[in-house]
Amino acid sequence: MTADEEEGGAPTPAEAPAESKAELDRAFEELYRTHLRDVYSYSYYRVGNHHDAEDLTEQAFLQAYRHFERARRESNGRPLRPWLIRIAHNLASNYHRDRSRRPEAALDAVEPPSHPHGTERVVEGREELRDVIERLQELPDDRREALIMRFALGMSNREIARALGRTDGATKVLIHRAIKQLEELMHPETVDD
Amino acid sequence: MTEAADRPLDFERLLADALRPIEPPEDLATRMETMLTSIAEQAAAELSSWADELSDGELQALRDPRNWVRPVAAVAVGGAAAGALVLVGLRQRRKSSGLRDTAEQLLRDLRP
Repeated sequence: MTADEEEGGAPTPAEAPAESKAELDRAFEELYRTHLRDVYSYSYYRVGNHHDAEDLTEQAFLQAYRHFERARRESNGRPLRPWLIRIAHNLASNYHRDRSRRPEAALDAVEPPSHPHGTERVVEGREELRDVIERLQELPDDRREALIMRFALGMSNREIARALGRTDGATKVLIHRAIKQLEELMHPETVDD
Repeated sequence: MTEAADRPLDFERLLADALRPIEPPEDLATRMETMLTSIAEQAAAELSSWADELSDGELQALRDPRNWVRPVAAVAVGGAAAGALVLVGLRQRRKSSGLRDTAEQLLRDLRP
């Protein structure tokens, strides 16, 4: 299927050649294996605890399974990670709306990684990483979510744009501003402007 | 100048360090498999009991498209169940096509 078909007139579900159930099953298995960690990581950074992150991950994959055939048909061969993360994103938004609360200030059990530095540098580094996580919670939702997608999941601007339903340009600006704001929050004395 | 130029890169590196991917707990996959197995078994039981109930007269009646709602719904559930077994099969390579084959065979048999 070509990009022209995607833009000009992609076949409707009824017109598209039916994909066998076995092919769909294999594709979903691949999606699950490849992106379980992505969905879990995103959910965890959004809700701030492992228990709810697990629930959200389960819900995301069940919902993904329910709509997988259609999503695959309409993706025209594009990667489905943004679609999957969008599902997790919507579920996390519902979670916060339902409970009217933001992620808890301290994310549990996130131990900053160790680095091949001296002991003092390691201690300093761990404090700084904790500070990043705490300051991240002070960002507006869309900026925080974009940074999670970029840095925790390694998504490209285009993938993030698809997941958030924005243009590539708007996403690039969003990420730039998010990084700048976070840096200002952490080091107000060293940032220009 | 150099310090200022390096700062964004350093900060992005810091962000990448802080926002590491989080490995899902071992029991998450197990719980998902259990949940999906439950869905699959429920659907399989429903499909099986419906097929067992069919008499010759009912099979005859099913040649009328107006009576297809129930089998189509059952096949849809069965298809979902077979798909759910894919996840279950991530650790245990269970045969997931049996239910689907049964459902598809059933549909073929029902066609006039």
